[in-house]
Amino acid sequence: MSVKDLVQGAEYIAKSMGVTLKTLVRESPVTVEYPDQPAAIYPRFRGRHELRRYENGMERCIGCALCEAACPTGAIYVLAAENDPDNPVSPGERYAEVYEVNLMRCIFCGDCERACPTEAIVLGHNFELAQYERVNLILDKEALLNPPTPNVIIRPDA
Amino acid sequence: MSDWITITIDGKEIQAKPGELLTEAAARAGIHIPVFCSHPKLDPLGACRMCLVEMEGRRGKMLVTACTTPVNDGMVFYYNSERARDARAGTLELILANHPLDCPICDKGGECDLQDHAMRHGPGESHYWEPNRHKEKNYPLSDLIVLDQERCIVCWRCIRYLDEWEDKPQLGLFQRGADTVIDKFPGGDLDAYTSGNIIDICPVGALTNRLARFRFRPWVLEHTNSICTHCGMGCNLRIDTRDFRVRRNVARANEAVNETWICDKGRFANGFVFSQQRLTQPLARIDGELRPVSWPEAIQRVVDGLKRVAAKEGPAAVGGIGSAKLANEANYLLGKFMRALVGTNNVDFREGSSLKADPRGIPSIQAAREADLVVVMGSDPSEEMPVLANLLKRAAKRRGAPVIVIHPRRIELTKYPGVHFHPQPGDEPPLFDALTKATLQARGQAVPDWLAGAEVTDEVKEAATLLVNAQNPFIIYGTDYAWGYGSASIVQALTNWVVASGHGDRLGFLHAQANAVGAADVGLLPDMLPGHRPLSDAAARAELEALWGASIPTQPGLGYSGMIASALGRIKALYIMGADPVGEKPSYADHLKALEFLVVQDLFLTETAKLADVVLPAASYVESNGTFTSTERRVQAAPQAARAVGDSLPDWAILMHIARRYAPDKADFWRTASAPAVFEEITRAVPQYAGMSWEGLGETGQQWAWDALEVSRKLAPYAKLEPAPLEKPFTFRLITGNLLWDDGNTFAATERLAQLGHKAAWLHPDDAAGLDLSEGDLIAVRSREATLELPLHISRRVLPGTVFVPFSLKDAPVGELFDEFGPRTTVAVYRA
Repeated sequence: MSVKDLVQGAEYIAKSMGVTLKTLVRESPVTVEYPDQPAAIYPRFRGRHELRRYENGMERCIGCALCEAACPTGAIYVLAAENDPDNPVSPGERYAEVYEVNLMRCIFCGDCERACPTEAIVLGHNFELAQYERVNLILDKEALLNPPTPNVIIRPDA
Repeated sequence: MSDWITITIDGKEIQAKPGELLTEAAARAGIHIPVFCSHPKLDPLGACRMCLVEMEGRRGKMLVTACTTPVNDGMVFYYNSERARDARAGTLELILANHPLDCPICDKGGECDLQDHAMRHGPGESHYWEPNRHKEKNYPLSDLIVLDQERCIVCWRCIRYLDEWEDKPQLGLFQRGADTVIDKFPGGDLDAYTSGNIIDICPVGALTNRLARFRFRPWVLEHTNSICTHCGMGCNLRIDTRDFRVRRNVARANEAVNETWICDKGRFANGFVFSQQRLTQPLARIDGELRPVSWPEAIQRVVDGLKRVAAKEGPAAVGGIGSAKLANEANYLLGKFMRALVGTNNVDFREGSSLKADPRGIPSIQAAREADLVVVMGSDPSEEMPVLANLLKRAAKRRGAPVIVIHPRRIELTKYPGVHFHPQPGDEPPLFDALTKATLQARGQAVPDWLAGAEVTDEVKEAATLLVNAQNPFIIYGTDYAWGYGSASIVQALTNWVVASGHGDRLGFLHAQANAVGAADVGLLPDMLPGHRPLSDAAARAELEALWGASIPTQPGLGYSGMIASALGRIKALYIMGADPVGEKPSYADHLKALEFLVVQDLFLTETAKLADVVLPAASYVESNGTFTSTERRVQAAPQAARAVGDSLPDWAILMHIARRYAPDKADFWRTASAPAVFEEITRAVPQYAGMSWEGLGETGQQWAWDALEVSRKLAPYAKLEPAPLEKPFTFRLITGNLLWDDGNTFAATERLAQLGHKAAWLHPDDAAGLDLSEGDLIAVRSREATLELPLHISRRVLPGTVFVPFSLKDAPVGELFDEFGPRTTVAVYRA
């Protein structure tokens, strides 16, 4: 190792430390204090599934199972049934009696969203999916209709 | 047909048969002209205009409907010309103008002709922006079928099916133009027994199955090519399952059997498979109560119980009852177990030795399609075998075949011209004697002395002449004449007539149960070995003893009713598989209670099973592999379509386990580990089945030959039949018989069907008026044995002086009425 190398090394260290020191005092920190603070995501982020309702409270899902047909991993199971005309669950004659999404299989591709003729199934913004029990990773209709509020904000630059 | 003609389609020369329709000729050449209204099994109509093609005519090219255009030599067609394509796209655009866009919720979506044609031949977009016309979307046509009038494209297939096949025009077109709708006729019902077929042939989702509605999408279903086991016809069907559960049954083509049709029982009555009432685990009587036990324990109890009785009372104190509803494999193994291991010939089934039936059934179903005369004796095909009845109706209606009906009721077939006799129970032999005499006279043969006294009326002469002159008569007799008191005389009497006419080899017996032929074939009879060989047949014995590794007892055993009757005497243990004698005749309960040991193997906890010491849960035919032999001796495979309910096991597997535990030293002869392997053993035990194999049965089954079994038929005198006395108060003659909508265990489990049909005692209007009774009144039918209370149905289908009580009614088992005259007894009828 020559003297030249030593001098050059010291110069590089000083330069890079300069950047560090400059950022330390001039700019606010970029670390997100998650989960104390919400995560910033893009608006089209594809997270946990949700089943939506119409404004009058009726379920949008008509149990057509096109999401199931579109799903590349077989993560969705739909069993439809006939609506009771006096007490319908959804508009029309048919509704989903059973609707399950297996999050262990889901690859969050969003094909189900695209296949849905009534915009009933959507991929929401919730990504907090960890569970202690596998069975909890199968979302039933109850869970899909009542999604938890995601701890996120939309990225300001989106 | 040997001479072919040449036609040209789009410049390509195609060979065709003269007179066939253009759609058929084109299809053979690989050009599939789209159709909606046309159906290979229905007459051409040309209603939908989907199949328009251009034809070179005298005045230039013109558009014609391919489905109604018979081809002739040298005709020139253009299928792919611009004008033809435009015409078809235009037709589709008009059909779609008012068609709702509800494919996502339509049961047909995915297997819909309209979807397919619109994708392939449609214009892609529509000129119409106006709102759709709206009609009734949920319009029930019957308890089984619902119509969506918006989806209907008015192709008439349903109307034509009911007219051409059922001969019951129950649907029609109403209104005009774009308002046209399909509907029932005012005041009429859609109650044809094969009405469900219109769901299959509807090219769109207008007609849907109310029981299966919305429970599946066609693309998720797994298909199993199976058969129906509700009757002896052996119709081919496809069981569609999802998640190991049966979603629907649809018809499957077998040109020799059911063509493409099945009856509503076969289509809709599948609820028994996944009924909540199914047995899911073995039960054993512990401290007087049936409690769940494990399979090993249940089997050990069965083995111990049977061994105990056989050791103490001798093997002849043990008996086995099988069932004509169960597969060949189950019945074969029960017979083998009883004969080879227990050492008794006490094996039978309800329709076994007591039925004076031809073991070969009917010559063939195909014969019904070629018949120029239909003779039906003591059977009601419309109720017992609706798909066969349709063939007979077509013979009568389309080919003008006369119909001779001899039946105690005015069955549906009596609406066709011919000669109809309605002898009351006990009066049948004199009628057949008269027919025999008239037939012999018509053929110029000598009349034996014992027939000389028979009284020949004009009608008898007419019927006799019809049969003598017929070339291809279809002659069947059924359970109503072949079962119970006096049946031997009646069957001999009717055989005399048919033999006298020279058509003796065409007389067939219509087995009402799915596997009545098969259960007898595999030897579940007290006096017959497998293959209809008598117990005394030394060669057969040697062959079977080598196959079974045990000697077969020589003494003939007891039959079905004999075993149950002897339960109060020498029979001490019974193994009942798939039969419910107590449900059929509740007083049998006293007999079964007297047994030391009773095993019942069934789907449900039947009245019989409630008395058992061990109850074994069996899997239904949908959940296990098995073969069934139909009434035309067609051996067909019914492969497993669904996972067995609970811990239930296939019948053959249960018997295999029991046998191996019963005689560990003979385990080498009980090594077959699957139903196809058991079938392979059957083909070695039953000569008629030689050369068959599970794989070889294929999709459409294999028939064993009519002449593979000799049945001698001779003109012979018989014992005179003494009818039951008509004396006060027993002034009505009892008539029994099967109805399609019965109340049996496998049928009633489908709840939507349970309320269909007339579960009642039927009386003629005159008799009802005489007794001052009206429809629905609760009446009592009393015999010397018992009294039944049931509602009244007034119908001209029964004759004055008779009361009809169908079999298998839940709360009114007609068997209870039988006395020494069996089903031909006399009863008192009065207001309850």
